[in-house]
Amino acid sequence: MEFDKDSLLKLGKLSKIKIDEDKLSSLSTDLGSILKFIDRLQSIETDNVDPTSNSLDQSLVMRDDIALDENSATEILENAPEKELDFFSVPKVIE
Amino acid sequence: MKAGLNLIEASELLANNETSSVELTKIYLDNINKGEELNCYNTISSEEALKAAESSDKRRKEKKSKSRFDGIPIGIKDLFCTKNIKTTASSKILSSFVPTYESTASQNCINAGLISLGKLNCDEFAMGSTNKTSYFGSVINPWKSKNSDANLVPGGSSGGSAAAVAADLCIASLGTDTGGSIRQPASFTGTVGLKPTYGRVSRWGIVAFASSLDQAGPITKTVEDSAALFEIISGHDSKDSTSSIKQKENFYDNLNSSVKGIKVGIPKEFKSDDLPVSTQKAWDDCKKLLQENGAELIDISLPHTMDALPTYYIIAPAEASSNLARYDGVKYGIRENAKNLIEMYEETRSIGFGDEVKRRILIGTYVLSSGYYDAYYIKAQKVRSLIKSDYNEAFKRVDAILTPSTPSTAFEIENEPKDPVQTYLNDIFTVPVNLAGIPAISVPFANDENNLPIGLQLITNSFEEQKLLNIAKNVQDTINYAPNLDKWWIK
Repeated sequence: MEFDKDSLLKLGKLSKIKIDEDKLSSLSTDLGSILKFIDRLQSIETDNVDPTSNSLDQSLVMRDDIALDENSATEILENAPEKELDFFSVPKVIE
Repeated sequence: MKAGLNLIEASELLANNETSSVELTKIYLDNINKGEELNCYNTISSEEALKAAESSDKRRKEKKSKSRFDGIPIGIKDLFCTKNIKTTASSKILSSFVPTYESTASQNCINAGLISLGKLNCDEFAMGSTNKTSYFGSVINPWKSKNSDANLVPGGSSGGSAAAVAADLCIASLGTDTGGSIRQPASFTGTVGLKPTYGRVSRWGIVAFASSLDQAGPITKTVEDSAALFEIISGHDSKDSTSSIKQKENFYDNLNSSVKGIKVGIPKEFKSDDLPVSTQKAWDDCKKLLQENGAELIDISLPHTMDALPTYYIIAPAEASSNLARYDGVKYGIRENAKNLIEMYEETRSIGFGDEVKRRILIGTYVLSSGYYDAYYIKAQKVRSLIKSDYNEAFKRVDAILTPSTPSTAFEIENEPKDPVQTYLNDIFTVPVNLAGIPAISVPFANDENNLPIGLQLITNSFEEQKLLNIAKNVQDTINYAPNLDKWWIK
């Protein structure tokens, strides 16, 4: 089982990962092999089974909404690859 | 001072003034230096560690120690955010990231006075079973086969955490386990690895891989150390909405190694003709040992065992593809410049992620995409319910379950199969536990015919870590496993 080239490129677009031409073939084989493996589940009878998204038998714990003076913009922006003033900076979006 | 101290021994030496935190820290920094070839650490924090050790010694002098473990040097997987110390998840995309905050689990270590020696190498974003997916290169297993000089994998993803404890490059370490990432490397290195119940240890500040499966835990030399370090890092955290509200327990003080009357289940689905003879023998010997010590063996069935791995390889990549969407070259990490925003995202993620991470993001995106969501993602969540229910049923009859930790012992770094699915099979015995959210421990039991460690896995029901640690201690104390590791890297 192999992933066809167009589906793989579309998946790359959805995932925002550029797929290089020279990687297409090996990636298609790898993903095909993984898909074949996970397809085994299709034969399992699950008609009256509820899905489990979290194994903990406890509802999500809420906490009080208290403002804390930590993680200042200056500190956080230290990690930004590019910044301007007090903002993250990205390539121009609007023409 | 004897080499290869464990947490308890180190705490006794400190209490009796036979050593100081500064002396211990210097010894271990020196060990790290000598063991550079093993590639266990991504970042070594010598200066910070020595400073913290001085403070610890001062506290001890003033009888203000934070805990009996105050001043003991440990290592931390490079997946835990550590304030002002680089945290990379062993990925190129985060290779420059310096967190402005501390993860709760590592903060709990600081609160107990433990000293971090640095950040331990792991598979990229904890995705792997060999440590080969790390951007910073493979960790080398300190163990070698007696018949060959080839380097072996330490297992993964917490490969650095396990190898560092085995090689005495730290006294104990923190790892994380999403599908076996603590237990499998522990098994490959002759160390003790505990995956706690989901929710026991806060996930806050740990780089997320698969949020419904990720759980942090200790890798140590002994079961006692495991109990002690687990006690330190566990407890409710209001910053993690999936953190359990159960009270913190005194796992170390309450250790009791009796197994009299304990019922131990042996699941028939874990039996296989493919299991190496030595692993099968270790498993059989352990059954016999537990029986002789007063436990009762019961044959059980966990019918969906073989469905766990395909289920995991839907759920984990799905959650990963969502969690890793945040790495976009904007807020932190590296950026690859391009002419517009979308291309910048695509180029950054293309050069920033390694092959295995990309494969999992692509598969995750696929199973979550329109038209496939029900067939894959919801289907996997339903099978997850069946797996969980297998364990619920089993624990009506037994207290614990005994299995091998891994289908093989450590293998050669160069011998990893080309097909990713073959590598995934390494986690066949560990993955079901994460899907069920229950705790499990890998304990070193014996060495195989090539002198490589074999680990056995004990599993209990949710929040029954005390029982788990007690049985593990019984096994440990009866066999008295002596690693006898040749430190070939010290010239």
